[in-house]
Amino acid sequence: MRKRIGTWLFRVVVGLLVLFLSLPLLIVVATAFDASGAVVFPPEQFSVQWFGALLERPTWIRSVLNSLFIAGGTTVVSMIVGVAAALGVRRFSGGGRTAVVGLTVLPLFVPGIVIGIVLLTFFSRFGLQQSYFAVVVAHSLWATPLTFSIVQASFARFDWQVAEAAQDLGATPRRAFLAVVAPNVRAGLVVAALVAFVVSLQEFIMALFLSGPDTRTVPVQAWNSLRQGLDPLVSVVSTLLLVAVVVLILAGSVLVGLDRLATDA
Amino acid sequence: MSTGTSRLSVPALPDRWRTLLLLLPVLLLDIGAFLVPMGYLLRLSFTAQTSQGAFVEGSWSTDGYQYVVSSDLVHQIFTFTVAFGVGVTLLAVAIGVVYAYAAWQAERAGRIALLSVAVLSLFTTLVIKLFAVVLVFAPQGVLNDLLTGVGLLSEPVLLVDNLVGAVFGQLYIVTPYAILAVYAVLSTLDRHQVEAARDLGAGRWDAFREVILPHIRPGIAVATVVSFTWSIGAYAAPLLLGSGGEQTTGILISELLLTQFDWPAAAALAVITVTLVFSVLMAILWRFDESGGILNA
Repeated sequence: MRKRIGTWLFRVVVGLLVLFLSLPLLIVVATAFDASGAVVFPPEQFSVQWFGALLERPTWIRSVLNSLFIAGGTTVVSMIVGVAAALGVRRFSGGGRTAVVGLTVLPLFVPGIVIGIVLLTFFSRFGLQQSYFAVVVAHSLWATPLTFSIVQASFARFDWQVAEAAQDLGATPRRAFLAVVAPNVRAGLVVAALVAFVVSLQEFIMALFLSGPDTRTVPVQAWNSLRQGLDPLVSVVSTLLLVAVVVLILAGSVLVGLDRLATDA
Repeated sequence: MSTGTSRLSVPALPDRWRTLLLLLPVLLLDIGAFLVPMGYLLRLSFTAQTSQGAFVEGSWSTDGYQYVVSSDLVHQIFTFTVAFGVGVTLLAVAIGVVYAYAAWQAERAGRIALLSVAVLSLFTTLVIKLFAVVLVFAPQGVLNDLLTGVGLLSEPVLLVDNLVGAVFGQLYIVTPYAILAVYAVLSTLDRHQVEAARDLGAGRWDAFREVILPHIRPGIAVATVVSFTWSIGAYAAPLLLGSGGEQTTGILISELLLTQFDWPAAAALAVITVTLVFSVLMAILWRFDESGGILNA
């Protein structure tokens, strides 16, 4: 009997946690479809008018484009850095490897607000504050350890003697990588790129300090309007951002399975 | 094995140079855009304060640290931030262990559902999450409407613009990290070990304590470090969901930097915060993580 109660109690607690994590997000989505624009739940009258209204607000459009551009830039930078590093440390073991891994993960253990103000003060010496460059570099500091570790994990599952065989048969290292290695680790590479993109898309604190009126990302723009009161467009943009993230997670899960996505990232 | 000899036919750089070339981008990024700026911050924290401009270029002074040490307000804010960070971390890690365990022992469909929720929350920007918390917990929010509607409450309770709001908001930010950090380690546990323990007469709770808990120690260590790092740097949650009483070091640093233009003090406070986070990181690495699991997470 006591066991039964324990099991039920456990289920209730887990159920509440799931509600705690998911319900608020669903409510945000629901408020995006309300006609009144008063940000109420449950919505009184279904409408998609606010999605249309979004298209008439240049600051929001600008922030969406900025977010995509910065996330794209972060993906490119962190993939180049992460893949190169994963190839580089492959022949290392022990001390050298730990040093490189340690260096890449270090920025993850510094609060975002500190990196934000550090880069703000540092980049402003060179007039680079509020530039795309500043935000992309900051996001790459957080995205690179993830691309690096995901790519490294998929490299570890690959039989490198095949690549060596290709080189023995006369392929250049570059050709051997593109023709032999890349197709075999493709899923890992795509997932790493997806994770980098999403990390940049959702990052807020560093972007808040490093972006300016022209380079503001969606989370920063949403924050600014939230500070001024509830704006129905925040619900709308949040919904779009959530949909984008769901699509990207689904893509990643199809490629490598949710279990690996959840444990690698 | 054959790396050295097989490459002789290829007109490429020697191995050592190739490796260095491959590591160049990561060294450039992490040294150029992280270590050097951190060094600059350290230098900045030892410059003199001035009423004209942000700091005195090229000066050496301990103004910033003296301000931090002598100001009662800073003490108060710092103490609150540490207490807030410890409290949120304990809650987040506890939730992470319970949730990850539930996902691990659930059937396939249940596991996918639980993990999807955690991953979605992890990848949702904290601004949306805080906005959602406002919608749910505000005086006219969903929860208060519900509770007053069914007669459980006669009038709305205040759940935002106070400590409760700040904690809820911060938990909402860090919990997914804690869940997935624990789950990542738990997923490597062999189910047979738990079954064997149960077969030998251990109850569910005993099996959890004797088999699962020791196994997930590295996961708990990672969850603790990540939650603590995020909470000690809390900024958005206390600002949006707290009141004036929930000022954190992060909020203070940004105010010193952006509105008071006192860069030496802001830098000193940031250096102290980073030192605190790294001490905790080292202590936990040393205490809990013999296998170096944090570096592999």
